[in-house]
Amino acid sequence: MRITIMNGDPDPGSTFEGYLHEYVECLVAQGHEVTRLDLRDLDLKGCSGCWGCWVKTPGLCVKHDDSDRICRAFLASDLTVLASPVRMGFTSSLLKRAADQMVPLVHPYIVIEGGEMHHRPRYARYPQMGLLLAPSADTDVEDLEITTHLWSRMARNMKSSLAFTTIATTSAKEAADGLAAVA
Amino acid sequence: MDSLLLLNGSPRGPRSNSMRMLTQVAQGWQAGGGAEPTVLHLARSADFDRAVIEIGRAGKVLLGLPLYTDSMPGLVLGFIEALEPLIGREDNPRLGFLVQSGFMEPLHSRGLERYLMKLAMRLGSPHVGTIVRGGGEALQVMPDQALGKLFARLQDLGEQLAREGRFDPETLRQVAGRERLSPVSAAAMFVALKMPITQFYWTQQLKKNRAWQRRFDAPHASA
Repeated sequence: MRITIMNGDPDPGSTFEGYLHEYVECLVAQGHEVTRLDLRDLDLKGCSGCWGCWVKTPGLCVKHDDSDRICRAFLASDLTVLASPVRMGFTSSLLKRAADQMVPLVHPYIVIEGGEMHHRPRYARYPQMGLLLAPSADTDVEDLEITTHLWSRMARNMKSSLAFTTIATTSAKEAADGLAAVA
Repeated sequence: MDSLLLLNGSPRGPRSNSMRMLTQVAQGWQAGGGAEPTVLHLARSADFDRAVIEIGRAGKVLLGLPLYTDSMPGLVLGFIEALEPLIGREDNPRLGFLVQSGFMEPLHSRGLERYLMKLAMRLGSPHVGTIVRGGGEALQVMPDQALGKLFARLQDLGEQLAREGRFDPETLRQVAGRERLSPVSAAAMFVALKMPITQFYWTQQLKKNRAWQRRFDAPHASA
């Protein structure tokens, strides 16, 4: 399976980094083709809701930053794992800023899907998504529930689905083994 | 007089649908006897930094934001992260929110509403309520006169905040409107949206930018 990891941890010296390193090694050992993007190293200008990617340069952000790389790495995968520490009850703003800039992946036209208003897809296929979360001291079960719910809505907006939420308190190997269930 | 800090979390800044709605709430707040609110736009970096300081001093705070991919914009989440030092303080302000979405149905915003309620709890701030309103993008093309009923209700909410310190749940329900499309209107829209005229808001902009021919481009398609 082609797996893209989007790492939303702003701190290169965190313990989660070590975990992620091991997680990637396990995935590679299992034969997966892994691409890792450390979002903190990318030039991301953030979405300002200008809709240029819908009405000026269809499918491309007008800011000419690294958001193109995020979009490509997402589409080129079978599964994209969003990795992030949990702060203030949610994933990092670094990860959310990257996700905001994935809006060129859909089309502005409105369609009805499952009885709800959504955007028309721009591409023929979209990968699945998964969440890998490193909780902090004040993270509780409700935070994880809310985070999972919000990212499953995000996935739906991106014509994808959230296949799992893994908490980085299980071993990296176990977490990597768990991906076998995702086809 | 009671003070209100009005935070506009729209990445578009002052000329945003969020700000247009917040302005109505602020009018009602002043009609209800509140002092002129301090307004800060998080999209401006100087305002962002000032907001982090002011929120620790304010009596009441109303944060307005657009829904981005069914949650908060990265800009607003960055602001929330900057509030971490406020956890555990005893005199955090009363917190209210306004969430507006492009999609019509309020159901898209309910997950975020739950997050924001939990955020208030995390900060130990009394939650005065969350205004949820769909169809926000339509405001771009609608004159004030066409929005009379919505604006009057937003003003009511501002007045309630000034007089009672919270939003009335019934007014919040009226502002939100129907939670989801009824099966009949979903079916009707499913058909109607296949007709080009219903997508005119986007078609018109694509044509203006000479991008209409390229509207279905898929530049990131992988082999």
